[in-house]
Amino acid sequence: MKESKWTLLGFGVLGGVLAALLAFFGNPGNMALCIACFIRDTAGAMGMHNANTVQYVRPEIVGIVVGAMILALVRREYKSTAGSAPVMRFALGVMTMIGALVFLGCPLRMVLRMAAGDLNAWVALIGFVGGIATGALFLRRGFSLGRSYEGMPAGGGVLSVMLVVVLVLSVTTGIMMVSTQGPGSMHAPVLLSLVCGLAFGAIAQHSRMCFAGSFRNLIFTRDVSMILVIAGVFVAMLVYNIAGGTFHLSFAGQPIAHSQHLWSILGMYAVGLAATLAGGCPLRQLVLAGQGSSDAACNVLGMFVGAAIAHNFKLASSAEGTTPAGRIAVVAVVVVLLLVGLVGTRQKKD
Amino acid sequence: MLRKPQLRLVITFHTTAEALRTEQLARAAGLEGRLIPVPRQLSAGCGLAWSGAPETEKTLRLTLEGAGIQAEQMAQLTI
Repeated sequence: MKESKWTLLGFGVLGGVLAALLAFFGNPGNMALCIACFIRDTAGAMGMHNANTVQYVRPEIVGIVVGAMILALVRREYKSTAGSAPVMRFALGVMTMIGALVFLGCPLRMVLRMAAGDLNAWVALIGFVGGIATGALFLRRGFSLGRSYEGMPAGGGVLSVMLVVVLVLSVTTGIMMVSTQGPGSMHAPVLLSLVCGLAFGAIAQHSRMCFAGSFRNLIFTRDVSMILVIAGVFVAMLVYNIAGGTFHLSFAGQPIAHSQHLWSILGMYAVGLAATLAGGCPLRQLVLAGQGSSDAACNVLGMFVGAAIAHNFKLASSAEGTTPAGRIAVVAVVVVLLLVGLVGTRQKKD
Repeated sequence: MLRKPQLRLVITFHTTAEALRTEQLARAAGLEGRLIPVPRQLSAGCGLAWSGAPETEKTLRLTLEGAGIQAEQMAQLTI
């Protein structure tokens, strides 16, 4: 059955309500649900980096992957696939994370920040859409990472199992690191985070929520249906912020954000371009990994490593602003992504 | 403006590049149709599909075969 536009908007609103719940019960300001930040926190908890303010195993990440997997299994849409340029997808994941941590958020957090009145996020949207438009240009000229192939059914569930093990170890042992200050110390109760993550993953799987794909589809088909899901998230969080007094229309004084616009634009340009070349934003990669795509799982693992690189080499920004290394890195990432697009396109033409 | 649902030939692909190439080929051949997001009833993927007139199926099959494009699915749907 074809889903009506209202239904898609409703799914988005439902996702936004879940994000609002997480914000209300303790997740950091304007960071109720951020794929990049939460992967970064989880990587930190496992000791992949030593930034002691951003270390905590986020159950939301585990929930999104497993929630998508459960719904895909129920709807018989789970398909274990692999073989589409896994190392390139890993590298795209690394670069996605570097861009996101220079801006300070993935596309989902960008929308949450926009809904809280953070004008810096509205500026970053220019970069994100520009990155997707550039990626669309490469796709139009024939860029492709190649097709994937169906494989051993269990293969598609490896990431889900790994993440569940990490979460179980986190709640039953003391081997994971936990921040006592900073964003990593702010979190909703574990069970609530997990349940919201599971529900969000199921919603994202069913509605095919994708921040990059929705703009890409708009460019190629002029179809707005996928953007409606995102609009729903925005509206729900806007209402929550206005009602709760957390809506502040300004550039300055926004939680865990900076106002260095050029770098916000370039950071999100890198995210938009990398996501379009990889076939989905960070959230979509988690959902695809849950549905059985080992290629998407490679991208997710790349984001874990990217988070470690960003913090170990001081590329990640903070509320004080970007770092010199971060600025160099994001320019390098943009150049590499453009080269990837050009080379991929040229190979296709040959 | 709401469009009345009608029977369409819908083709899905393994890659976005193949969908875009199909659009070029169909246009060059003068075949009616356009790219659409993959219908939810066909796939959980978020890629692009080709939607054309059902009577163009045979011509499209030959065109895709000639260009070395392998369709993932080809179905007639009311969308």
